[in-house]
Amino acid sequence: MTPLLEIRKLSFGYEGSSSLVFEHLDLMVQEGEFILVKGPSGSGKSTLLRLICRLNKPGEGSILFQGNDITSFPPAKLRSSVSYVAQIPRMIDASVEENLLLPFSFAINAAKPRPGKEELQEMLKTFYLGDITLDHSALKLSTGQMQRLAIMRALLQKPLLLLLDEPTSALDQESASMVFSIMERLNSEQQKTLITVTHIDYKPEKVSPITFSLSQCSLHLAS
Amino acid sequence: MLTAPGLMNQIIDISTGQLLLALLFILVAQASSFIYHLGLNRDITIGTVRTFAQLFLMGYVLTFILKSSNVCLVLGVFAVMVVSAIFIVRGRVKEKQIPYIIPTFLTMLITYFTTALFVSGLVIGITPWWEPRYFIPAGGMVIGNSMSALAISLERLFRELRQQKELVEMKLSLGANYREASADIFRNAVTAGMIPSINAMMGVGLVFIPGMMSGQILAGADPLIAIRYQIVVMLMLVGSTAISSVIVMLIVRRRCFGTGEEVLLSPR
Repeated sequence: MTPLLEIRKLSFGYEGSSSLVFEHLDLMVQEGEFILVKGPSGSGKSTLLRLICRLNKPGEGSILFQGNDITSFPPAKLRSSVSYVAQIPRMIDASVEENLLLPFSFAINAAKPRPGKEELQEMLKTFYLGDITLDHSALKLSTGQMQRLAIMRALLQKPLLLLLDEPTSALDQESASMVFSIMERLNSEQQKTLITVTHIDYKPEKVSPITFSLSQCSLHLAS
Repeated sequence: MLTAPGLMNQIIDISTGQLLLALLFILVAQASSFIYHLGLNRDITIGTVRTFAQLFLMGYVLTFILKSSNVCLVLGVFAVMVVSAIFIVRGRVKEKQIPYIIPTFLTMLITYFTTALFVSGLVIGITPWWEPRYFIPAGGMVIGNSMSALAISLERLFRELRQQKELVEMKLSLGANYREASADIFRNAVTAGMIPSINAMMGVGLVFIPGMMSGQILAGADPLIAIRYQIVVMLMLVGSTAISSVIVMLIVRRRCFGTGEEVLLSPR
């Protein structure tokens, strides 16, 4: 069976830097898997996710999505299937509803079914955001609320792979628990394929992710 | 001294002494800078010297070109003006990461030439189209105005793309292509460059009398003819600014994104 994502001998270093972030890194992700990548700050976890969705210039080696090199996809098409949620969530200066529907304003998602107000309001509840209304200003939300909203927004375009970059690093304990719970439910109940990178010691309760540690320019299977 | 009736249809020569008298204005500016510690004394001095040197040089060059009536010379002067303009733009924008100079230069050259050609050859209808008395001033005005607009637009484009990199990447992550992800920034950049030209159209004749029209009237031209020239100039400037700004922004914006439509600008 063709893996959903396959990284082959990926080497990458930043321009102007003589040292490599990765050297001959390999990773295979099957549909429905939950991959957890742990590592200290600066080990290249975010860079790995950004390379998968082409937000960084490619390095040596190859990254295959559904068996095809990611460079063979139009970038917008790749990113509507491989959705990346950044460490610091960003919102446009508009309502919660407009932020959630933002992906549908882009040509690549125009044909996808738009969720209605009721569906959005129901979804907000499952993301522990039942207390906010759709016309609430997104920029007035707390960082924890924004992070959950950002994950919900990424999911609305129905990506095949969700990349979460340190989703709890800027959050308090309570908000972090909510985000972890959402991640676990997405994988266990909706069979979403996730790759999450984090530097904190997180032990999932409901799912058993395949955990790697990123160190010395390579991934090492931890569990 | 000429009396008012004697002024009609002839221009009063300004002697060297009278020209030096105008330097009093610079002394006032220097004094202001000195008293209020504005730190502009050096720039005012350099600017004054350059004004004298460049305009005298231009005067001699134009006298020579008007006498020789050679198309190659006219186009050569035009090319030198565009090359000078691109150096000024580069000095103002100060962007090292994105190669924007060559596309900007080529766009300026083609757009400004086409505009000057259109105005001198078709609107004014002078024969030959490169008649230096018309073509060079028209080209000079187009280059001067659009150069400032381009510098403003480019600086704005680079600055906003850097400042809003994470917002642009958020949109890219949600399936936007680079045009969609940077649409607001593109719009702001072009608008910022265009606003001075549009404001000039709003205020012309009410708030200020443009230099070209004033010059024609001082030279003895009928004000009703002078305003027609000025209207052509105002429209020409808005048109050339719009065309050059949009083309340059389209090309340079693409260069700010890589082959994977990733943002190439890194924070300063």
